[in-house]
This record gives sequence, structure tokens and C-alpha cells, in this order.
Amino acid sequence: MVTSQRSKGMKLKGRGCSSGMVEAEAIVSKKPFGFWQGIDTQTGVVIDRRHDLFGESVKGKVFVFPYGRGSTGTPGIFVEAVRNRVAPAAIINLKSEPMIIVCSLLAEEFYGVKIPIVDGLDLDHLSQIRTGNRVKINGETGEIEIL
Amino acid sequence: MHLTEEEKRIFEGEEGEPRQVAMRILKRLGEVNGADRLIPIASSHLVGCSYQIAGEAGIEIYERLVKQGGRVSVPTTLDPGSIDFKRWKEFKTLEDYAKKQIIIGELLEKMGVIPLWTCTPYYLLNVPLFGQDLAWSESSAVAFVNSVIGARTNRMSAYMDLCAAILGKVPMFGLHLTENRRGEILVEIEQELSDLFSDVHFPALGYLIGQIAEDKIPVIKGLKEASFDQLKAFSATAASTGSVAFYHIVGITPEAPTLEKAFQGKEPVKQIKIGLKQIQETMESMCTYDGGKVDIVGLGCPHASIDQMGRYAHLINGKKISQSVELWICTNEIVEKMAQKMGYIDTIEKAGGKMMVGTCLNNCPISAWNFRYLVTDSGKFAYYTPTTVGTACYFTATESCIDAAVHGHIAKE
Repeated sequence: MVTSQRSKGMKLKGRGCSSGMVEAEAIVSKKPFGFWQGIDTQTGVVIDRRHDLFGESVKGKVFVFPYGRGSTGTPGIFVEAVRNRVAPAAIINLKSEPMIIVCSLLAEEFYGVKIPIVDGLDLDHLSQIRTGNRVKINGETGEIEIL
Repeated sequence: MHLTEEEKRIFEGEEGEPRQVAMRILKRLGEVNGADRLIPIASSHLVGCSYQIAGEAGIEIYERLVKQGGRVSVPTTLDPGSIDFKRWKEFKTLEDYAKKQIIIGELLEKMGVIPLWTCTPYYLLNVPLFGQDLAWSESSAVAFVNSVIGARTNRMSAYMDLCAAILGKVPMFGLHLTENRRGEILVEIEQELSDLFSDVHFPALGYLIGQIAEDKIPVIKGLKEASFDQLKAFSATAASTGSVAFYHIVGITPEAPTLEKAFQGKEPVKQIKIGLKQIQETMESMCTYDGGKVDIVGLGCPHASIDQMGRYAHLINGKKISQSVELWICTNEIVEKMAQKMGYIDTIEKAGGKMMVGTCLNNCPISAWNFRYLVTDSGKFAYYTPTTVGTACYFTATESCIDAAVHGHIAKE
């Protein structure tokens, strides 16, 4: 197990799911996340009362959660958030389901916004990323650096 | 991923931008998920048609695709929208909101979709066959057509479904492959429960199995029989509390004639037993209040079939619903028309019930009604309405729902 004290400067590697390079602050949850009835598309604030990030904003952040859940309407909600410039800047998952990956492909195709997604990290490595860390992520190569 | 010569031409943009965009998105998705090629689909069913989901971005995206000549190339139906197209004023929908939904409908119709506005397209106008590959969204319909019919679709999602409909193809991964349709979790229904299994137990079982299975494929053993509507209720609920896209019921669903076939000769990764006690506990957990008050009774999730319409009419015939309660029944236009012909709607409306057509309580904005206590026979409503409508919810059998509407009170069982 990797210790958290060493997480600064740590480099991780997962599977690159969609292109783009971003450096931003991380917001981390250990709970699966569903965007439909999950975020306010005007503000990027989490509105799911059952979720531990309720009331927090994911706008412009590297959003770290284990995997997506809920409605197949997810990309609709996500792209609306992209249009309103309140979407997360990047996503890191244990496993990104097709529904989450498509969110990023659509953002690039229709709004020219690249939102890198990396998955396939194991839980030990994923837990090294803490809320507030600055994180650099490359969605093409799957490389993540905790700054 | 291997592309044929024709697919390469589409990728290069020779068949216009909508097909190129669809190809780019599905190719990338296929590559990330290990698909080696695209396969043709027989039909598609879209969820990004409701304004609640698509929003302003949806209008912009559909406008762009229409302007570029985008058209679906396989039969494609639409999920419920965010308004009752005929009665939106009656349901207190704001005019601006209704207009947005109407625009989305018009744009999608220009692309050649079948405007069915229902979560149950599989009982009319979009009926898959065993073994067909499809690109369907709507979690409840995905679970139904995979499991009950034996068609093959991944859980598609908003826009991804439209890309597949425009292209007429999907990348071959996940549930399109026989080896990925193998059962993973064995769920045994104990005899004491199996003996008294009835309508109300199907959504309850779905609610429990969704939580247990998450995204794994459950194999249910010990159910003696199940009707079309019961399987519809089970599918919808298991797909709400979990990401269940496919399940087997031994002796009932077509890919599970035997336990061995359901598991494709392999061992389950997990085994559980469900008895009367677990089902009763689940039904309690589906209620967020103890009963008593009721403002609204919501039926028809997933959209009511003609059989269910007949049942509601029979139960309410000659009665009057309480002054303090609304009774709303959700269905689609075709079932509505047939139910009208058969006199069911007349009976329901005489009793004071309302039809909600082409939408439902989860999609239509109804905060203006200030409902606080909802009673339903739907496991999917029970799971979602505390968030979508913001009410407390009481789950019970259909007969008790009608009683609650008539008496203005729901007795705790």
C-alpha cells in the first residue's frame, strides 16, 4: 500500500479514455455518482441529497469518483453543464462506463471542450488523490500527477 | 477497431457531418471498450428527447444535426418527454417550458424518429426479436428487451443512442457478445415466498436484486410464472436501484431454459437466498413514510399497458376519488386511444382520475402542485420520486393505491 504522505509529486497511470490535458483542483468522493438529479446544470453544485458531496461544486475541478450510476440521461445533463460552463474539467474513475466516456466525447464534438477521463487505477492509487490536491491529468496517455 | 471501406468513407465525412460525427463518437467508444468492429442494429430508442434531460444544449445539438441533414437510419422511438403534449396546461406546466419540449419534438421528428413518447416501446411500434442487436437507452426497456425478449443491447445513453440510430450501427462489445450474457449471481427464491408471489412482489424483488447485483447479471431461480406486466415492473425497478441491464429467470426468460444454460456452464460468483422476510423488509424500505396522508396516487410506471388500464378501470368503476387526492395514470398515446375505445378512460375520468400521456411524474415538472405524500405501486417511482417530485413515498399494491385515492388515506399494512 502506498502511503498518503508520499502522494505529493506522485505519478499514477491509468487508461486514457478521452483526450485533453488539464491541471486543476481535485474533488473526491468514494461514492458512485449519477449526473441526472445529481448536479445543478446552472451552477455545477451537487444536488443529490443522498450523496456525500451534496452542496459542493464540481465546476472546473478534477472530479474523482469510483464509477457512474443512475439514469441513461446522464450525457444530456452533462452536456448541458458543459454548455453552461459548469462541468468538471476532468474525471477520474475506477471504471468509467460508456455513458461517462460519451459525456466527454460529446463535449468535444459539440462544444469544443476537452474533458480528459482516466480510469483503471486501483483503489489504493485512486485514494492517493485528496480533495484540494492540484492534479495534472492527460486523457490520452492516462497519466496523472499529483502536484 | 476495424472499419469497412464504407465505414472509412463515413469516417472521412463523405456521407455528411451527422454520420461522420456519429462514426467518430462510436468508433472512439468502441476502441476504449475493446470492440473490434461495428455491427448493424435493428432499432434504436432514445432518452435525450425530454427537455428535462436534453436542456438548451439538446436544442442546439438537434438544431445543428437537422441543419446538416441528419436522419435516423433504423426505426427509432422516443422515451417520455417532459410534458403531456395535449394537457400541459392542466398539469400546470409553464408555457416556456412546454415550448422548449415541443421544439425538441419537432427537431427529432425532422430526423425521422417515431414520436411514441413512451418508456415501453416494446409493446407497440418498436418490438425487437430474439437475438437482434439494438441501440436502446431507457434503463427499464434495456433490461426488458435483453432479458424477456433476448434481444441484445448495451445500456446506451442520451446522444449515444442517436449516434447509433443515425449510423445504424453500434460497436460490438458488452451485451452484444454471447459470453458477456452469462449469469453471475445466483438468487434463489425460497418456497414460502415463491408460493405466494404476486404483482406487488415483482417490483419489490427488483428493488432488492438491483441493490445486490449492481451491474452484475443475476439469475433468479424459484419463480413459477411471470406475466408481461410483472416482468416490466421487475425490469424497471432492478434497473433503478442497480445498473441491471440483463437478468435471467430460470424457466421463464429465453436465455435461461435451465440453470446451467443461464450460467453458460460456469459457477456463480455469488449466491443468495431471498425469503418472505427479506421481501417484507424491502417493501418497508421502499416507503419513506409510515402511511396515513396522501396527496397523489401515481400509477403507470413504466407506462401502463392496455391490460393495466382495464384493471384500473375495473377497480375504480362506480367509485369517486377523494376531493383531497389526485390520481394520475401515466401511459402513451396508443394505449390511451385503445383504452378510450374500450371505455376505460371514461370510467377513470368519471371517478376523478387523470390521464398523463407521453410523460410521467419523473419527467414532468410538477412542483407547482406542492405534493408531499405520494402513493404508488411502482418500484421505479418509489425509488426516484422522493428526488424528482420531492415527495415522501408509500409503495403498495395496485388495489391499495386505488383505495387510497378513494378514501384519501393510506392504511399502513
